Amino acid sequence: MRIHQYERVWLLASMVLIVGFIATITYGAVGLGITMVDDRGATIAPDEINEDERFGDPRVEQVGDDEYEVYAVAMTFAFQPDPIEIPADSEVTFYVTSRDVIHSFYVVGTNTNTMVIPGEISVVTVEFDEPGEYGLICTEYCGAAHHEMEGQLAVLEDEEFDLTELEVEAPDEVEPDGEIEITATVTNGQLEAIEETVTVELGDETLEESVTVEGDESESVTLTVDAADLGEGDHDWTASAGDLTESGTVSVVEGSEDDTEGGDDA
Amino acid sequence: MRLRTSPAKLLVLVALCLVVLVELRTALAFVGVSLSIGATVAVGVAAIAALLLWAVRPAGSGE
Amino acid sequence: MPNGATFADAYPTQARHIRAAFWASFLSLGVGAFFGLIQALHRTDILRVIESQTYYTVLTAHGVFLVISFTIFFLVGVFQWAVTDSLERPPVDMRFTWGWYGLMSLGASLTAFAILAGFTDSIDVRANVLFTFYAPLQAHPLFYVGLVVFVVGTWLAGADWFRSWLAWKGDNPGERIPLPTFMVLTTMIMWYISSIGVAVAILAFILPWSLELTGSLNPTLTRTLFWYFGHPVVYFWLLPAYLLWYILLPKLAGGRLFSDPLARVVFILFVLLSTPVGIHHQYLDPGISEGFKFIAMTNTMFLLLPSLLTAFTIIASMEHGARQRGGEGYFNWLTALPWRDPAFTGMALAGMVFAFGGFTGIVNAGMNINYLVHNTLWVPGHIHTQVGTAAALTFMAGAYWLVPQLTGNRLVGRGLALVQVVLWFVGIVFMTNSMYRGGLVGIPRRTAEPQYEGFEYEVAAGSVGELNAQLAIGGTILFVSAMLFLALMVLTAFNGGTEPIDDGSIPPALSGPEDSPAVLDNLKLWVAIAAVLVVIAYSFPLASIVSRGGLFGPDIGPIPVAIDAASTVARTALEAVSAVVR
Repeated sequence: MRIHQYERVWLLASMVLIVGFIATITYGAVGLGITMVDDRGATIAPDEINEDERFGDPRVEQVGDDEYEVYAVAMTFAFQPDPIEIPADSEVTFYVTSRDVIHSFYVVGTNTNTMVIPGEISVVTVEFDEPGEYGLICTEYCGAAHHEMEGQLAVLEDEEFDLTELEVEAPDEVEPDGEIEITATVTNGQLEAIEETVTVELGDETLEESVTVEGDESESVTLTVDAADLGEGDHDWTASAGDLTESGTVSVVEGSEDDTEGGDDA
Repeated sequence: MRLRTSPAKLLVLVALCLVVLVELRTALAFVGVSLSIGATVAVGVAAIAALLLWAVRPAGSGE
Repeated sequence: MPNGATFADAYPTQARHIRAAFWASFLSLGVGAFFGLIQALHRTDILRVIESQTYYTVLTAHGVFLVISFTIFFLVGVFQWAVTDSLERPPVDMRFTWGWYGLMSLGASLTAFAILAGFTDSIDVRANVLFTFYAPLQAHPLFYVGLVVFVVGTWLAGADWFRSWLAWKGDNPGERIPLPTFMVLTTMIMWYISSIGVAVAILAFILPWSLELTGSLNPTLTRTLFWYFGHPVVYFWLLPAYLLWYILLPKLAGGRLFSDPLARVVFILFVLLSTPVGIHHQYLDPGISEGFKFIAMTNTMFLLLPSLLTAFTIIASMEHGARQRGGEGYFNWLTALPWRDPAFTGMALAGMVFAFGGFTGIVNAGMNINYLVHNTLWVPGHIHTQVGTAAALTFMAGAYWLVPQLTGNRLVGRGLALVQVVLWFVGIVFMTNSMYRGGLVGIPRRTAEPQYEGFEYEVAAGSVGELNAQLAIGGTILFVSAMLFLALMVLTAFNGGTEPIDDGSIPPALSGPEDSPAVLDNLKLWVAIAAVLVVIAYSFPLASIVSRGGLFGPDIGPIPVAIDAASTVARTALEAVSAVVR
């Protein structure tokens, strides 16, 4: 085959260019360790999501020192959990699946970007070094309100970040001769132990107690007050631990059923 | 009036001017030089005006 | 063809058929361009004439009308012209030729109906699934049926051209395939290999599921099958433009094609490489291992080769033409090119934009860089420089030369035509520049309202408002340009009693087919190698996807954009048909 001299040179230069591109991308994958979204996530049918240990309760979980996992669910037209809070400078692995159609999970302006396909779990590991509020959007058309599918990703300074939860158990109504028991439970979702001062207030009574909560454990503090001391009527209570606060009202009334229901934990 | 180039070439050159302007502004932004809209338009108008002046100036009068 | 005679003189029946294909194409262009204008103004929040949820009907129509109907109807027209002209013989049976044109028109009409019915609530048909129709979003069955009928029409068109070639071969034993016919045949081989993917996706999975014959499907599987077809289809849009660049552009520039052998090599490379790359559209998909993505990436990079070779041949041919016209110097020859010819200028400008689009394509193809741009506005920026300019502008420029040959009429408004191609060039650069920059700051594609409540885009230079204005201006210029083109075409069609300026003859290449080994014309060999490459690239990924999610998926039901499709008459008829087929 007769090929002109210039064509040969051009052909050679083209091949060098192509091999060069492949080399730089290979370097990015092998040298810099930029891995692709792949098949490492298991499969999950959309109708199994509610029963699933991870996706049934979409959340952030600590799995090691500076290592976190986020179990997120995309659906028309929202993300769960929302907002997602993660610490800066930590290795965060997102596990994302879809309840219905194909979505995407894109943290705007970053390279945290993956398709979310029903039946599959997308796994992306990233590290955010810039604290701040990021937009989380779906970039794959998913239906008539696709443009409303939006969530928030809050990347917090290490010291601002915790996975501490406060849950309060308090009765709604109590007989005038009964006792009011308010139990505040602090759960530590992180691995390291935390010190918290738990305060429970009801009427004039105040209980303040310092507790140490081990990693992945919870501790409870209970305040007991005689209803007779408060008298009939509505009485407000508050419980707080760190910057978390819960509040509610207990009524002292004649003829009430003494049921203890969980406080309205937000 | 005699043009120093054909109207067709002039049209293509003006189009190229606009295109280079848009792309150059982006390229400059990448190296940290950001031109405002006003400045870009001014540069564009100047470049196209220069081009048109060159085209309509009678051949040889500048020598 | 006698010297000086137009194609319309030599083959009046065939010219009528090609004109019909062009009109279908141009009609689609007009409708598609109008929807494009609505989108450009809507998503930038400059003018909103529709509800945001209707945006997706508009977007589906814009995609399907332009990349399926406009491009492929134009393709069959150009290919029919190329085969007839280069083999110097009409189709074996003109009824068959009209038959496939009829099928394509029927298919396009059914799909168009299913989409456009989305604008009214009085017809219970919806197909707001966009051009990619990713399941489990579900359109009305008519949408899929129309696509199948359309594709079958193109398959028969290919069969028609192979038939013409075989008949020619019988009369001319031992001769090399004329270059234009060679290009048509190789392109169609690529099309046969690749469209199997979408045919299986629709016929085996999506259509039965939309008719409720099957209850579930595997979305990763149908998506992978779509992209098996979805990348080669971009070459299906582009190769008619390549054909025009190789066959027509050198002549328009005043010279001859530089190298016939290299042109053949280029088309063979497209046959071999354009299919085993589709997974590069799925770099960010779960369920596909990184290894398969890496293979797709390397194949994609090698796919640059035929385009780089084309750039060389085209520029060399143009320079040759310019020197024939008296051009001199290292760069001064550029001024000797026939810039006042809209057919030439349009193609030259399209080629320039194509080079730019090629580089943005390399960014898309780089799998780790893809994280930054995937599904952002960058991607439509890329597609508008490629199919929206390299193909579309070349088609329009080509039409300025071809339509006079096909009608026997002189082009009306040659100066306006030049303005039209230049407007397209300026419009596309304005629009795509904004899209590229918007994509880099994270503005998503395919959305009615990229304005969100919870965050602001951080634009490095300028502002979102400025990007929006630039996008809208570009889109408006493009719309004006498209309308101008259509007006000139209609006027030319009615410009009876005139004659084209140019004759329809195509000069031979400087380096002819005799300079290349005959093996290049051994189409069976290339089909075999292409098949092997496809099997290597796709058998393992497909097997893995099926073993993960099952052939019919983990119980994934439909999410219809069609509202209560069961009640329509059309659907009942379809069910009756499918019951018979079962």
